Amino acid sequence: MSAVNFWGKMLNVDRRWIFLLIGVVSIVPFLIPVGMPLTTTTEVESIYDCIDSLGPENAIFLAFDFDPGTDAENMPMSVAVMRHAFFRHVPVFMTAYTPLGNGMMMSGFEYVTNQELPGCYTPVDYADWATYRDAGIVDRDGLVAAWEADGHSLPENSVGWVFEGRDYALLGYLPLFHLVILGMTSSIEAQYPEDSHGNPLVEMPMLREHKSLREVDLALTMAGSSACMSWIIYGREKIGLPIAFGVTAVMATDYFPFIQSHQIIGQMGGLRGAAEYEVLMERNGVSATTDKAFTGMDVQSAAHLLIILLIIMGNVAYFAGGFHKQHLMKSGR
Amino acid sequence: MKRTVPLIIVMVGGILMMIQYFIPHQASQAVFDYYTEWAPIVGAFALVLGVGSLTRVHFHRIRRRSKNWPYSLAVLIPLYAMPILGLMVPVSLWGGMESPSIFHFLFMHIQVPIQSTMFSLLAFYIASAAFRAFRAKSALATVLLGSATIVMLAQVPIGEIFGPGLQDVGLWILRFPNLAAKRAIQFGVGFGILATSLKIIFGVERNWLGGAGE
Repeated sequence: MSAVNFWGKMLNVDRRWIFLLIGVVSIVPFLIPVGMPLTTTTEVESIYDCIDSLGPENAIFLAFDFDPGTDAENMPMSVAVMRHAFFRHVPVFMTAYTPLGNGMMMSGFEYVTNQELPGCYTPVDYADWATYRDAGIVDRDGLVAAWEADGHSLPENSVGWVFEGRDYALLGYLPLFHLVILGMTSSIEAQYPEDSHGNPLVEMPMLREHKSLREVDLALTMAGSSACMSWIIYGREKIGLPIAFGVTAVMATDYFPFIQSHQIIGQMGGLRGAAEYEVLMERNGVSATTDKAFTGMDVQSAAHLLIILLIIMGNVAYFAGGFHKQHLMKSGR
Repeated sequence: MKRTVPLIIVMVGGILMMIQYFIPHQASQAVFDYYTEWAPIVGAFALVLGVGSLTRVHFHRIRRRSKNWPYSLAVLIPLYAMPILGLMVPVSLWGGMESPSIFHFLFMHIQVPIQSTMFSLLAFYIASAAFRAFRAKSALATVLLGSATIVMLAQVPIGEIFGPGLQDVGLWILRFPNLAAKRAIQFGVGFGILATSLKIIFGVERNWLGGAGE
């Protein structure tokens, strides 16, 4: 076999071999985790620091502006932010840009409140603490004290209570969501008279303290599309609402101009951004361990390395085989 | 009439909302509030039109046994089954949208895996395409190849094996050359949107009418 034939065969290798290699490097690191150390960037640290500076008197919006397609990238960052907010007792309004995003919102909340997982939070439904609300106990510390005094105790894996209407509200999806953002700059309750469970927002303590987006301290949009831009156009530019992005890796490059112009306080880009947030939470004692995003970084390391090796091999074969002098190449199967 | 009325609505509405944005007066705010309450309701009717149109197209395909007509069944059955399961079936019969329900089960075990699979296929195709097409054929292509390799390595923990400088270079590429190029593109897009919006508001651009009234 001549040298040209060898390089030619290499360039025209059946692509199923490449698919197999990618499959192997995607699975093996899950079976043999390495847990390589990860440094954090200012883009993610600024979001972490912002939420860490907030408390029960503040409120944030967590927007599930993604569909299941980008679940692997957007969900870990949504979960991390939700956990951090719950840890700091910051009330969280959760919304969705699309009907599928509504399902992701529910799925994310169920993951954080899954009582079988260590480090979970235990939710208390709105109706379950009605008597305390009627008795005027709505401040968080007083509510937890009264709730536990009545014999309620945290399950084994749980690290804290979260009261619906006090610590979180699942607002969900509404059509034409960019107009909903615009409307919420005047009144959240006008757009969402009820939450996803049919509870009236007007009676919720967290809404009474934060009636519109003007009284909200941060909106985080976890997006798998340009939906995140609506928060800048209608939230940031109209009323100066602080915004942070959690976007997929391929989208992340698009939004660096908005960080430099201070239109967003920071962004989590892809799985790496989510993993950095998990590392910050673990380092600062917000969570005992890192989660799915950090585990996934081993896979991403292996896959990136393989792709770089393939690019190098492809170029070596291309030049060594003298194909750069030819115009036509077979495209391979 | 079919052309004039929509043109007037767009012109008046467009100008009104543009002016309103810059007037922090109570009357201006009232117009804004009224609009934001109405618009989602009007938008919801578009959903009815969309579902109606989709149903008609696929119903005809099934009735005529057109090519690949079983796929039309795959569109119509979930289109109607999911709302019925989520909104009409009582919770006692595993209805509703929250877990545990059939709706939730189908969403988590069909919709989520299908969409995630479609997206994850990208990794396989990107790897194959990178091997076949990413060539240092010219000076510019070599710069692109080099910067892409640096950014890819800088984005993952294994890149730190090559020293802390690699991550700094990767971030520098994202924060400066990438930012400059993206801003230039966004300026171009922004001016394009502005020009197109003004053309639509003032009736110069009429393609959106879709041939109505002709």
